[in-house]
Amino acid sequence: MTRPARLENAILTAPLVVFLLLLLGFPTILDLVYAVSEVRFETLRSPSFAGLSNFTAVLGDPEFWRATWFSLRFAIVTALAECALGLFLAVYLAPLLRRAPWLLAILIMPMIVAPAMMGLMYRLVLHEFIGPLPNLLYAWFGTSPGFLTAQNVFTTIVVIETLQWTPFALLLFHMAYQSIPEDIREAAAVDGTRSWRLLTRIELPLMLPTIGVALFVRFIDGFRVFDNIWTLTGTGPGGSTTSLAIYIYVAFFRAGEIGEAVAASIMLFGAAFVLLFAAARWSTRGVR
Amino acid sequence: MKRASDILRILVFLAAALILNFPVIATLVTSLKSNAEIARNPGLWVEAPTLGNYAAIFDAAGRFDVWTFLNSSLVAAAIGTILPIIVCFPAAWVMARRGVGAAILFPATVNLRTLPLIVFAIPLYIMYQSLGLLDTRLGLGLILAVVNLPIALLILVNTIRDLPVDLEEAARMDGASLPTLLLRIVLPLCRPGLVTVFILGFITAWNEFLFGLMLTTRDAVPITVGASFFFASGGGGVEWGVAAAIIVIAAAPPVVLGLFMYRHIGGSMTTGAVKG
Repeated sequence: MTRPARLENAILTAPLVVFLLLLLGFPTILDLVYAVSEVRFETLRSPSFAGLSNFTAVLGDPEFWRATWFSLRFAIVTALAECALGLFLAVYLAPLLRRAPWLLAILIMPMIVAPAMMGLMYRLVLHEFIGPLPNLLYAWFGTSPGFLTAQNVFTTIVVIETLQWTPFALLLFHMAYQSIPEDIREAAAVDGTRSWRLLTRIELPLMLPTIGVALFVRFIDGFRVFDNIWTLTGTGPGGSTTSLAIYIYVAFFRAGEIGEAVAASIMLFGAAFVLLFAAARWSTRGVR
Repeated sequence: MKRASDILRILVFLAAALILNFPVIATLVTSLKSNAEIARNPGLWVEAPTLGNYAAIFDAAGRFDVWTFLNSSLVAAAIGTILPIIVCFPAAWVMARRGVGAAILFPATVNLRTLPLIVFAIPLYIMYQSLGLLDTRLGLGLILAVVNLPIALLILVNTIRDLPVDLEEAARMDGASLPTLLLRIVLPLCRPGLVTVFILGFITAWNEFLFGLMLTTRDAVPITVGASFFFASGGGGVEWGVAAAIIVIAAAPPVVLGLFMYRHIGGSMTTGAVKG
């Protein structure tokens, strides 16, 4: 490449690079510094070196492990449920959606609603006295469970997350399903392939990469969940709905344990990085 | 036989539509009831519809000033939507046309989508504090721009890649300088991509909550965070009609925009996912 072209390239990418360095690069360095420092809100400007004590403190905190376990469980269960439901709807409703594509917009709506607002909506919907859902359940069954009690709260937020993000999986699978060439289906029909076999032997294998992507994306989003849980239950009864993101937030703002909050977020960063790397390796191997 | 399965399909669709949208419907209905009616009738039917709750919201002042919330959301979301386009457009062209940054810059930016952004929230808070950006719309807008960066870059690179090269080559032959080429030829051709980036970016930025919660306290509180103020933290004393109305107002702009522009953005709502 010629000299002037190289200069041009540098100038044209500069805004992006500078922006990234300022808003993410610098904070990352700050993260690393504070992670090994003894620091409180009063001593933000003059952190003192504390070695790895923040990391050992976090790793020795049962609440941290509880939050990690919570996020992991939440992410796996919701990703699986969303993809299963989304796949069912995409395939089963396909004839209907092909005739009237705009119907899809109605099913997609929940994912355009702010997750934080979704959490607030459920404060209302699940309210034991004025909530429409308990009201309906009382009318039909004469009883209604305590949705937000320590026992039930995990199930409740899993269902809430699933209902909001099943549309994402549905949309992804809908597009993948529609993009299967029609002649493949016709050829199978000529061979007398039954529709169930067509689905399991031909269509699902063709959609497998999309299913992998959907599971991955939903897992990631589930793992870092904050908004809807925070607005619905906060840390939950007895800390039972403390996700990792909520753990970090609370450590920072409520407890002022800046070093520990930062150490925890670096570990989260590391975990996300490892996962991403593994997924990239896995997906390129899948292509070959 | 065929008829029956069609009817079943429609029933399944209706059930899915109703269940998925239940909280939205319930909140909308509740927002139209007076407080007295909410206490008496928690069902999905409104006996005496009223807009009183909405009127009450816009009368509130001080910490509950909805106009300030809306204004903050609008300004921050606008910065968070337009800035990524400005920053990414030249880079996207170099990436699409000359393959620059394929090794690190492009994947690093696009994969930001998968990072838990709370990781950056604490150092940003500290950084903002010393820069005086805490509780400002600019500060919030800047971080929303970071959130939208991956999708903006991805869509713009894909859009430019799909443009025919001949037009650019012809312009070059005529002696157009690089800025002219980019601004006069490429940018207008990117319009569909730009519209998609704008809509998706605006929806994401408006709906963002975590950074609004952490980085603002009074002057630049966005509506998503402001709405949560209406739910008294102590539990009791929530005016449910008013609370429902503020949720509707906070959630409506992206939903209206999304449904209105659905034909435009439908498929691309999953963009970050398909290639990431």
